[in-house]
Amino acid sequence: MASVANAARPDRQRAELAALSAPAVLFTLAMIAFPVVYTVWLGFHAFSSTERQSFVGLGNYSKLVADGEFWHGLWVTLALYALSLVLQLVLGIWLALLLFHAKRVPGFVRSLFISPFMMPPVVAGLMWLVILDPSIGAANYLLQAVGLPPSEWLASPIWVIPTVALIDTWQWAPYVALIVLGGLQSLPPSVYEAAQIDGASAYTTFRRITLPLLLPTIVTATILRSVDLLRFFDIIYITTQGGPGNASNTLNIYGFRVGFEFFNIGYASALMLTLTAVVFGAVLAFNRLRGAVAW
Amino acid sequence: MSKTSYATRAAITFVALGAVTTATHAADFDWKKFQGKTVTFLANNNPVSQALLTYKGDFEKLTGITLKVDGYQEQQMRQRLVTVMNARSDEVDVFMSLPSREGEQFAAAGWYADLSAFSKNEASKDYDLAGLSQALLKAATFGSKLTSMPMNIEGPILYYRTDIFKKCGVEQPATIKDVEAAAQKIKACDSTITPFVSRGLKPAVAYTFSNMLHNIGGSYMANGKSNLCSAKGKEALDTYSRLLRDYGPPGVVNYSFQQISALYRTGRAAMSFESSNELRTVMEGGERLKDTALVPFPAGDAGQVPTAIGWGMAVSAYSKQPDAAWYFVQWATSPEIQKRMAVQGIAPPRPAVANDPEYRKWIDEEPVRKQWQAALDVLATKGSSEVGYPIVANPESRDFIGQAVQDLILKQKTIDQACADADKGLDALIAQK
Amino acid sequence: MNNTPLSESWINRLNFVQLVLAGILVMSPTAWMVLSSFKPSFEVTAYPPTLFFSPTLENYSQLIRTTPFFSYTINSLIVTLGSAGLGLLFGIPAAFAVSWTRISWPAVLTLAARMAPGTLFLLPWYMMFRQVGMIGSYTALILSHAVITLPIVIWVLLPSFDNVPRSIFEAAQVDGCSITRILWRIALPLVGSGIAVAAILSFVFSWNYFLFALVLSNGDSKTLIAAAFNFVGEGSTQWGALMAAATLIALPPLILASIVQRWLVSGLTLGAVKG
Repeated sequence: MASVANAARPDRQRAELAALSAPAVLFTLAMIAFPVVYTVWLGFHAFSSTERQSFVGLGNYSKLVADGEFWHGLWVTLALYALSLVLQLVLGIWLALLLFHAKRVPGFVRSLFISPFMMPPVVAGLMWLVILDPSIGAANYLLQAVGLPPSEWLASPIWVIPTVALIDTWQWAPYVALIVLGGLQSLPPSVYEAAQIDGASAYTTFRRITLPLLLPTIVTATILRSVDLLRFFDIIYITTQGGPGNASNTLNIYGFRVGFEFFNIGYASALMLTLTAVVFGAVLAFNRLRGAVAW
Repeated sequence: MSKTSYATRAAITFVALGAVTTATHAADFDWKKFQGKTVTFLANNNPVSQALLTYKGDFEKLTGITLKVDGYQEQQMRQRLVTVMNARSDEVDVFMSLPSREGEQFAAAGWYADLSAFSKNEASKDYDLAGLSQALLKAATFGSKLTSMPMNIEGPILYYRTDIFKKCGVEQPATIKDVEAAAQKIKACDSTITPFVSRGLKPAVAYTFSNMLHNIGGSYMANGKSNLCSAKGKEALDTYSRLLRDYGPPGVVNYSFQQISALYRTGRAAMSFESSNELRTVMEGGERLKDTALVPFPAGDAGQVPTAIGWGMAVSAYSKQPDAAWYFVQWATSPEIQKRMAVQGIAPPRPAVANDPEYRKWIDEEPVRKQWQAALDVLATKGSSEVGYPIVANPESRDFIGQAVQDLILKQKTIDQACADADKGLDALIAQK
Repeated sequence: MNNTPLSESWINRLNFVQLVLAGILVMSPTAWMVLSSFKPSFEVTAYPPTLFFSPTLENYSQLIRTTPFFSYTINSLIVTLGSAGLGLLFGIPAAFAVSWTRISWPAVLTLAARMAPGTLFLLPWYMMFRQVGMIGSYTALILSHAVITLPIVIWVLLPSFDNVPRSIFEAAQVDGCSITRILWRIALPLVGSGIAVAAILSFVFSWNYFLFALVLSNGDSKTLIAAAFNFVGEGSTQWGALMAAATLIALPPLILASIVQRWLVSGLTLGAVKG
């Protein structure tokens, strides 16, 4: 092992590594610095169509804490998030395993399996709006054809959240599957060979070997889905606009309407920043988990 | 020289002089004044602007102005507009606006250029400012500012199936009570058909609900406070929600124009209370062409006070060339252009155009068009532009109205509870002055 | 010698059945969309839903005739390829560095842009780009979309890089390779599947993102997805045209995915590395 040559390495190494991540870091900072600062500044001001712009310190935030709509929105966001995440992880992993073992399926058919998330959200929303229409939609048509009672789907205050979770899962479980598939590809085959030699069953192989090795990938998928699910917007915007009543009013929808329809930009900024903090908290938590399982 | 020839010569000179003067006055209006300039138009991509823009080339030829058009669906357009205006950018010169919804809001924010001087002093002789619907002009005036020029007139009307009515022995409803009676009869007579459908989606309810409220004689505000808990207010809330709850389709709380038109067009609804703009969509495929009749929403205790609104063309207060922008606005809302748009199915905000022979010919082609125009005539004469609360926070007020109606449809609150909760929130909104 | 042929074939059969079931669930709504694009507008919402109908190309021809579909597509391609490319260019080295040093704040930072609601950026970015006169330029759109693709690239590649045994890197270092060289010559070929996934996802996310295009583009640079909204509106909901547009919009990502599949499946990953 070289010794003299290695002595000078650490500093040069550090510089190299910094240079490798510098473009990404600098680019991100350049793009988001002003928006974040500006939004924080706005959040400290009253700024709406009925109020003159004025500094109110934490006024918007105390309003937020007292706002029932905010807490309800938080509940809706978290409920939808938990339900969707679990469904998408479970079904996504299942789909990935299926595709991984189906080696003889042609590439184009595989890409069809992961195609739902390639559909633009506005199209997916409208499509499901029609399919799930209680009167003229195919979903109730099929339900009734097999003798089941029709459902109100998106129009039911109770079932709207599960229905939205279902739509989102249809669209994004394949996305999770794609990520997990990539992870499965990179698993060392040597481990499997050893397991086969030991006579392990498929199930045991999966539980004891595959799953633990896949955890880092699964956590990545969780993080990536979490940032999107906590900011749930598109499908709800197209289909129910937060309704019926407030049943599907996520924080993002609420903040959007406060800002762009009710013109209360100051309060909307406070709402958006609070939502960002929630997402940030989730990412930090999962990142710690990633550290635990990866290293 | 004989007296007559003197007189004749004088007359001829006089007439000649007159002709020359008029010609000079007509030539006074220089359409090419802003030749070479570019005007940017942010359009809501609906049939109104689509019809208008088919003549875009004519405008550019007439004035030498280059027209840059940016078209988006309504909500997207509003998002873009709000962003551009909040940034006080001069990017947009002309935009489409809905005074009944955002007029007061945008006016308070100072986003509109005042068109009163332009429309009086800088319009061509043919413009006929007085020929525009006075009601719509008034609805577009905030303070003393005329904020936009009306492009069309529209409002919710009642579409109904003449064949189903005949089958179930129902007459054309003349009052709101008749509507409910008809719905009841139809429900008993044919269980596969939805007797009545209208808007239940929270932000969309106010559009149709306002019509019923006004017909019943209620008002949104009284003495500066929210008035939904008045006797008339409660009656309107009760009737509207009852019609949807008992006689409407399942899932009506998510319904807006898309689902309503689809339901009616596929023949699954007997009565549809929806915008006059949806005529084209409803007639697609031709199935409903012969079995549909149209009337303004039947009268209540206060008679018929239909909701009549219209899109308007506005000039941005931040535009660097408002006068060139005005040229586009006046061309687009002139009698000639609105007549051409009318034949494409855009109801004109000019009573005179509605009587134009070419337009009448188009109308007479189909009986359903005749009824459509007749309904719109009523809207033009008796209409009110009040959709939601006449305050700056109009869009937010619509949410409270929608919430109250949904609470009743879903049986989550009693009428007293629903109207009280709505009033409480609305009073707070009104107080934000 | 280990799994009896019987249980092996049973597993295969079970897999096949599950695959078919999953296929039906996953693809039938998409199939509905594609079928609907060949129906006349009013038949899309007909009831009962029609499976057999006389197909028409009217929606597609109307689409191509009445909208500048081709130029929208070009705009979308430029913006998407640009932002995906930028994301890969900046993201691959960053992911490698984070994986090597186990210091994750750069990765979390790039994700910060995804933590805030997209609408938070609308007004400030409009103001920023307006100042420098870049509204309507491809650059503005590429930069804003790159903010979306960058974290995806980094976070998808992190576990891939983590999975490469350190021994390989250490061996290369002993041989005197610089870290950068290790990245491009040694590590990169080993994470082929990760790059494939990152590429697909970047492309799709950028392709389908309409919020920034709404505000940062104008008529000349409008992207396909921003235009797709135009088919829905009061008095003008054209289901047929919308479905046709949706089908066409979904094609490029799908084609890309089928092409990139090869790297996903080939697993030219760790076969060459033993022990």
